[in-house]
Parts: sequence; C-alpha cells; structure tokens
Amino acid sequence: MADIQTNSAASTVRRPRSKPIRWGLIGNHAILITGSLFMLLPVLLAFFTSTHTDVTIHKEGVQFFFGSEGGSNYHDAMFKKGGFSQNVDGARMMVNSLILGLGFAVGKIIISMMAAYAIVYFRFRFGTFAFWIIFTTLLLPLEVRILPSYEVVQSLGMLNTYSGLIIPLIASATGTFFFRQFFRSVPEELLEAARIDGAGPFKFFVDILFPLSQTMIAAIFIIMFVFGWNQYLWPTLMTTDESMFTLVRGVKQIMQAWVGGGNDIPEYSGAMALAILAMAPPIAIVIFFQNWFVKGLTESDK
Amino acid sequence: MAHVILDSVRKTYPNGYKAVHGADFNISDGEFIVLVGPSGCGKSTLLRMIAGLEDVTDGEIIIGDTVVNDVDPARRDIAMVFQNYALYPHMTVRQNMAYGLKNQRMSKDAIAERITEAAKTLRLEEFLERKPGQLSGGQRQRVAMGRAIVRNPKVFLFDEPLSNLDAKLRTQLRAELKALHKRLSGTFVYVTHDQVEAMSLADRIIIMSAGQVEQIGTPMDLYLQPASRFVADFIGSPSMNMLQGTIGADGHTVDMGNESTLRFAAPIDAQPGTKVDVGIRPEHLQATSSSAAQFGLTVDFIEQLGADTVVHGKLTGQTDPLTLRLTGVHSIATGESFSLHSALENIHLFDSATGKRLN
Repeated sequence: MADIQTNSAASTVRRPRSKPIRWGLIGNHAILITGSLFMLLPVLLAFFTSTHTDVTIHKEGVQFFFGSEGGSNYHDAMFKKGGFSQNVDGARMMVNSLILGLGFAVGKIIISMMAAYAIVYFRFRFGTFAFWIIFTTLLLPLEVRILPSYEVVQSLGMLNTYSGLIIPLIASATGTFFFRQFFRSVPEELLEAARIDGAGPFKFFVDILFPLSQTMIAAIFIIMFVFGWNQYLWPTLMTTDESMFTLVRGVKQIMQAWVGGGNDIPEYSGAMALAILAMAPPIAIVIFFQNWFVKGLTESDK
Repeated sequence: MAHVILDSVRKTYPNGYKAVHGADFNISDGEFIVLVGPSGCGKSTLLRMIAGLEDVTDGEIIIGDTVVNDVDPARRDIAMVFQNYALYPHMTVRQNMAYGLKNQRMSKDAIAERITEAAKTLRLEEFLERKPGQLSGGQRQRVAMGRAIVRNPKVFLFDEPLSNLDAKLRTQLRAELKALHKRLSGTFVYVTHDQVEAMSLADRIIIMSAGQVEQIGTPMDLYLQPASRFVADFIGSPSMNMLQGTIGADGHTVDMGNESTLRFAAPIDAQPGTKVDVGIRPEHLQATSSSAAQFGLTVDFIEQLGADTVVHGKLTGQTDPLTLRLTGVHSIATGESFSLHSALENIHLFDSATGKRLN
C-alpha cells in the first residue's frame, strides 16, 4: 500500500528534460577567458618574437607568429658566451638564479620555521614582543635599507659570492608569520601526547611538527623561490663579476652588450629568449606545486 | 602497576585563577577511578597534574613510591588518552603506537611484539598500516588506547576519551574499556563530565565542583548517600527532586509547607527552624492512595522512553518542579494529578545554606 502511494506521488513530480542554458555561467567564463588572454598576450608576443632574426625584429617590430630561428636563438641564448668578458652564457646565469632562488627559499623556510617554533612553543620573556619586532621588519623592505646592507656585506668581503647574495635577505617576517599561524593551529594535545611519548623539543620539531608542516612548507617554498628568482636590485648591487649574474639581471646586460656580427642591431631575439627562459622555472614550480600550494594556504589535515 | 597518592594538591594558574583547592586522596593499585564534575570544576587540571602536563602549585603527587612533582611526563610511567585522540596525523597506526617506545630506545622486535598484542586486544590488526585520517572516531580512539597500552604504564590516564563519539559507540567503548581494565588490571584514572560513564565504569568516583572534592566513594555510595546537594543533583538522571522544607520543633520532623510533614525516626542534625532541601529521586516516588500521600503532583508533560515513563510536573498548588519516573509504558494526560509517597530512607535532607547532608 505504502509502495503504491509513493509511486503515484513520484509520477506526478515534474521532471524537466534538460538543464536550461545558464547564460550567467557563459558570461563568467567569457570574462575569465578575456582576462587570461589579456595577461598572457605580452608573454606570447615575447615568445613569438624570440623566434625571429634580430634583423626582422629591428625592421618590423614585435612579431605575431612563429619565426624560423627559434632553435638557434634559444641555443645561442643559453650557450653562446657573451658579456664584456665573453665568459658568461645563459646557462651559467640560470644556474646562478637557481642557486639564489633555492638558497633563498630553503634558507628562509629554515630560519622562519625555527623562529616561529621558538615564538609559539617556548614561553620566554618578551616572546610576543620579539614576534612583533620581526613583524615590523615588513615595514623596512630591502630598498629602504639597501645602503647599510651593502656596506655590511661589502665590509665582510662577500661581494660577488653566493652567500653575499643570499644571507642578507634570508630573515623573513612573512614566513615567520605564516608558520606562527600554522603552529598555533596545531592542537595542543599533539604536543602533550609527544611529551608523554618522551619527545623533547628537538624531536617534537623534527618528528611531528616538520612533517605536519609539509604543505605549508611547499606553499612558502613557492612564494620564496619566485621572490628570490625575481630579485633584481640586490643582485645588481652585489655582483660585478659577470659570472655571478642572475638571469633576471643578465637579460638587460646582455641586450646592451651583445652586438651582433659587426652591425649595431641589438640582439632582440636573444633578450626575448632569455626573458622567456627566465620565466620558465617559476612557472614550472608553481604548476608542479600548485596542489600543495592551495592546500598549504587553505586547509590542514590535522 | 602502582598506587597514586595526592597529598593536598593545589593548582593556581599564573593569572591567579585557583583551579584546584586541595585534593587529598589515595588511588589504590589496579583501581578504576573516575573524576567527574561539571566543566571547569578542575578535574582535567587534576588529571593533567598527575600526567605532568601541568605544574603542581602546592602539595605532592606520588606514583608508586616516587614523588613525581618534578618528574618529566615521559618518565612518570603513565600513558594518557585524550579527548580528541591526539594521534600523529602523518604516521600510520603502527607508527603512532611505536613512537613512544622508539623514544625509549626499545628494540624493534620488542616494539613489534607489543604492537601485535595491543592490536589484537583492540581489534586493530587490519588498520595498522592506515593513517588516522582514514579511521572513524571510534577506531581512532581505540588507536589512542593502543598507544597507551603498548607503553605498559603504571597508570592509565583518560581525559574524556568518549566525549567526541556518538551515543551508541560510547556505550560500546565503555564496555570495552571496562573489559580492558579487567584484563590489564592497571590503575585507571578517568575524567568525564558524564555521570552515566562515571557510574558504569568506576570502582570509586571522585566528584568535584569548583576546584573542591565534594565526595569520594563507590557509585552506590554516591547514589544512595550523597554527601551534599551538589552530589545529589549531579548523580542520577533525571536528577533528584529538591523540595523546600523547614526542620520542625522536635528535631525529628520536616515541615513541607502544605500541611504535610515528614517524620524521621532519627533526630535530624540541625537546629529547629533550619531551612532544608528535601531531595527525592524521581524513581523513589511512588503513586499511592491519597491518605498515605506525602506530596501531590500536577502533570505538565511526560517523556515516554519505552522502558520508563518520566512525568514532569509541579508540586500541587505550588510552582516547585517535581519529576516522577515510572517503569513501563503509561499514558498520562496533562493536568492529571498524582498522590505520591516515598520511603523515608530514600529521602535526603540537605542544609539549604551550606548544601551539606543532614540525615
């Protein structure tokens, strides 16, 4: 009896055949696609242009299609020795950039994690005060303190060294802040369980907190790597030896210095190719880590 | 296994808040002790002091033969189970259980053996390689218990371990805990705010209120002879009826206001004229003929629980609430009245001012 009733009730329910077209959705996508194109266009143009000869670019300006010189242009950009001293090529600069980006990211993560660990888990005098001091350094970016920083590094004899490039920038208020917030969200019972399990401060950090922070570390790694990779002012100031140049800094230098085959046409194609190459690693890293990146900044599986 | 002694233990937080005003009791070897009380009564603080997670402000805590006040939690030979499980989320069940033992530098074989045994006891064998995130709440709490068992501690500490579980699982795990206690014959100290859990698990209950120990005794001591109005009210569900009365002139009677008088055989330990709270459990009230009636009840509404019917109403002609519990199914209409009677030995008298028991 009950069955019959429910069946008859169901048959009277109206069932629309197909979903109506949702114009709002289409509009949203149109806006998003236009926006993406708008942002991608300069990159695309640079890429197309980089595949033409310098002469074509000089005569006709920015190119809108693939040219024939792509392979050789990129090969030259990577491996042709250039600069005043004729001993630096794109590959060398890319290695320098990688060292700077990685050293920057890894160093910042280690330092800021340890700072946040101390601030969150150890009750010491002026702990909160120390945190706010660190935090206010955000108000003093590199540009503000660049002369004293240069003076210090110079007097320590660290010009034209990797450590000189990396160490002065390694303290990170942003990283410390993110890790602090993350550590504060780790349930206190975990710490207590670990204490009962006989884990001291060092073991707790290494065995529990570090693995738990993986997604957070990945997120900060991306931010810091890209930030380090894109440094321009500091490397410009710190490096005078061309073999220490980073890609971002080198692009401009090389465009000025590489004067092709006797005529005075700047090597537009080489510069464009280097610019594209300089963009590739950060993009690769973001694509590779993007899942972790989103996870690290939004959720946490504790 | 070991006994635990608390000798006038006090806790004052740095901000001046006094969480525990002086706890004095002995827990004997192998006993299942439940600390119970409303939230904020200091029971968790007390447990955490035994665990070593909170400093003791004053007094001594002795586990076995050692004063442990300044001993590290890991060296107290205790294990603790937390309300939110506190499992390490990035480790498998096996790693979770092994972590404490690894830190004690126990050999791999011995660890594996202990884990196998604990997993068998708790029926966790098939989950050993999973991570806590893939387990249900009940399974997680069993893993947390497993982590405690493998340590083979002198004292097991439980901080509201079942509060995050649904009612059915709670009942099931309660039975498992009881069986576990029997099998391990360890000393268990268990904190809960749930009086049913306390009653069903404990050998002895320590009931606390506002940082004070109100009463220590077996569940039946607390049920039959509550030492104070607080205990009487806290233990039992639905909770005890409290009616207003005054001690009569001869010291044997309690004047209940509306012409009814309770006459006790033994003299009541209070001055005539003292205001008293007369406590009667809902299940100790019986419907009776109007001539034998001590109280009248006018029905407001009833709760049909199947096995029991709980009748909520008011003392006839007054506004004091009165609850009556009848076994079996009854159909009772709002506005109906009952004449009620209770045996005198089931009537508890408490001083209205101090809350202390008088009979």
